[in-house]
Amino acid sequence: MKQQQQDQAVETHGFLGEEFLTWIWWRWETDGGEFTLPGGRVVGVALDDFLSFSATSDDETEQTLRRGLPTRTAEARTALRQGNRLRKARLLFAEGARQWSATMDAPSLTLTGVKLPEDAEECETDMDRNADRSANWLALHEIVQGLYAMFLKERLAPGFKKGGAEQMAKWMAG
Amino acid sequence: MAALKKSGSFVVFHWDGKLTDPQDQAFANALKNRRFRTIENAASEEISSGWVTAGDPTGDSFDLEDLDGGAGTWLRFRIDKKKMPLKWLQIHRDAAEKARGKKLSARERRELKDDLMEKLLPRVLPTITLVDALLYHDRKTVQLFATSKTARETFGKLFFETFGTPLERANPLQSGLRAQIAPNLKQELERLEPIRWPRAEKAGELARALKRPSPARAAGDDGEADA
Repeated sequence: MKQQQQDQAVETHGFLGEEFLTWIWWRWETDGGEFTLPGGRVVGVALDDFLSFSATSDDETEQTLRRGLPTRTAEARTALRQGNRLRKARLLFAEGARQWSATMDAPSLTLTGVKLPEDAEECETDMDRNADRSANWLALHEIVQGLYAMFLKERLAPGFKKGGAEQMAKWMAG
Repeated sequence: MAALKKSGSFVVFHWDGKLTDPQDQAFANALKNRRFRTIENAASEEISSGWVTAGDPTGDSFDLEDLDGGAGTWLRFRIDKKKMPLKWLQIHRDAAEKARGKKLSARERRELKDDLMEKLLPRVLPTITLVDALLYHDRKTVQLFATSKTARETFGKLFFETFGTPLERANPLQSGLRAQIAPNLKQELERLEPIRWPRAEKAGELARALKRPSPARAAGDDGEADA
């Protein structure tokens, strides 16, 4: 029953994850991708070399773009112009000298193929290394949660459709 | 000591309610009660799953220091599967049919299989899967470093059997309900509808389409309608 409810939530609110990923792309292209998260944490986010668009209906084809700079391709712009949401993307996250990369599956908000930053130079023992890595795993989760909260505050605000959504629409059409 | 991985995939789970403090011996004891048990010598096809630690993959010991994962508590579980290799069955069946000079009947095939299972399975070693998770007690959050359905379901079952607390997998709705946003926004979440970005071949058409009232709004519905 619990599993059913969870699957249902992905099914009913998966679109929100897709809108979130598209919002990250929009903010990255129009605002540089720097975000100040709650608590004053400053992180940078960029889209990397993998994009996958969801089809707007069951009859349409899903589109996947790999390698190079897929966000700059005509295919990606066309997909946006056609109103497609981003379903999966390879993302780069940076905070200070630390950098993570991961592929986000938007409907479930699952991160796959994550690469953590290099181990800190001060790590001398296995225990140091494990502590450093677990801090990096947690930091990545917190960054994504922080970004998602920022997105939700905009998305759920009463004036979103006349503000952010309209600006996003212009960007998608551009 | 084993090393925590520095690449891979993860799924996030949350729990509600109280969980034993991982620094207490009671936490380690709870894991021990649902420890991994070997099926190395089993004479049937079996699956066994249970807790082990990064320091001891057998499930014999649960030292608190082996659970120390820095920012989180390092959980590890083991899934062993013992299965009769199909190729062996095929080889023995082919040999029996060749010796007989004709195909075996369904009943004979079943008997041969049962006989081989009994003889060969104690000699077959199970496949071993070790799955890690980091538990952040104060955040009521776990990162499971596996995404397969088997790993997710086994972990959820083990966690519940060990701590009596069900886990809830993170998804856009659950993460939103746990996000640091105002309570009134959380109420909006459940009834939120997707934005239907209109198709537009020309620049600006999308924005203009968004400004147009949707059929629902034109009909007097003021709720979160399609843009």
